[in-house]
Amino acid sequence: MSADPASRGAPASTGRLVRRELHSSRALPSVVVAVLLIAGCLLLLFESVLKAVGDEPFLLDVEEAAAWLGALPGGVPGSLLGAASFLLLVLGALLLLLALLPGRRARYTIPNGRAAVVVDAEVVASSLARRARVAAGVAPEQVLVTVGRSLVTVQIRPTSGVRVDADAVRAAVADDLRRSSVEPGPRITVVVAEAGVIGQ
Amino acid sequence: MNTTPRLLNRLVLGVVGLLTLALGATGLAVLALPAVSSWWRAAALRAGDALDGLRARTTLEGQADTWLWIALAAFLLFLIVMLVLWIAAQGRGRTGLFATGAGAPASGTASPGASGPAAVDGGTAGSVTITAAAAEQALKAALLERSDLAGAAVSTWQVRGVPGLRVRVLPRKGVPPYVVAAEVARLVEALDAVTGSRPPVLISIDSGARVRFTRAERVS
Repeated sequence: MSADPASRGAPASTGRLVRRELHSSRALPSVVVAVLLIAGCLLLLFESVLKAVGDEPFLLDVEEAAAWLGALPGGVPGSLLGAASFLLLVLGALLLLLALLPGRRARYTIPNGRAAVVVDAEVVASSLARRARVAAGVAPEQVLVTVGRSLVTVQIRPTSGVRVDADAVRAAVADDLRRSSVEPGPRITVVVAEAGVIGQ
Repeated sequence: MNTTPRLLNRLVLGVVGLLTLALGATGLAVLALPAVSSWWRAAALRAGDALDGLRARTTLEGQADTWLWIALAAFLLFLIVMLVLWIAAQGRGRTGLFATGAGAPASGTASPGASGPAAVDGGTAGSVTITAAAAEQALKAALLERSDLAGAAVSTWQVRGVPGLRVRVLPRKGVPPYVVAAEVARLVEALDAVTGSRPPVLISIDSGARVRFTRAERVS
């Protein structure tokens, strides 16, 4: 990305584009939380307006609710209170994790002179599977490639009676990875199954 | 490429998460620890007394109840407006303009490389505007001609004040991403040459249900 002196959309902004694409924006949890908060606020707003006008409460009597809250360990079965509190605890922890974790998405970036390029891990995996299949001389169904953040695993079930050259497969996969020069570059593991399958 | 307020999202999620966590912890403590539960009752009594006092002081003459209810309603209304604005801020940033060039002044002092198409016209008055749809459709038509792509979508977004292109392509199974990236970048450069502007571009090579159910390309 920094090897891009000609670009008028400066490298810094390209880097920012890529960074934003590689991390989750937390838009969906934000919208869900906002909608829930709005619902709660609307109810309270309605009740307080009714109070101000001097009308009967609609769904929730604010004063009774406050009194109930003050008398808390009593007035409600312990198991219910415990379960509700635990639920709140878990929900709070989840929201906190959403706020603090980096939220990396399963994507890589490919350096390019003109544009910022991000690639879904699934696309990388399917390209690698194709190379591995050709190198091993097996059918598509006999190859399984999983691409993680720092590890690429190639699993091959050889055709019965035909030897699979694991090193050749590793070299082919490494070549494909080098050509796309995905960042960060992962390690490669090739696993050839003990048992073969009937060839297709 | 959108202008979703990511930091704000995380801040609010964190604050709401902390509050919820504290609420749950308090509930469990009140339930399980006798010391906390007795303290809770005492504190609730004191808070109730304080609230009653506050209520008596803020009730105006001739009124039945305190005006604090109205203040509370106004505050809640403000909070709701803020939350709605927060929702509306997610995913914004699409723009309908791809490039604009003001006509160069008649003296012909158009500097080389000035913004956009106007740099070429050599001092003609007026302005040139290229809408986003024109650039998007030109690029999309070029992309859809390729047999190794199952689909493509182009959209224009405001990136730090200038329009930028987001190109989303769905290659067929097994197509190497570096080939797709190079080819799409070449098409983008062709678009640069045609429109005379050089916007920031994001190429997003994705996979989706549409790709999973199409056949792999047999011939490359």
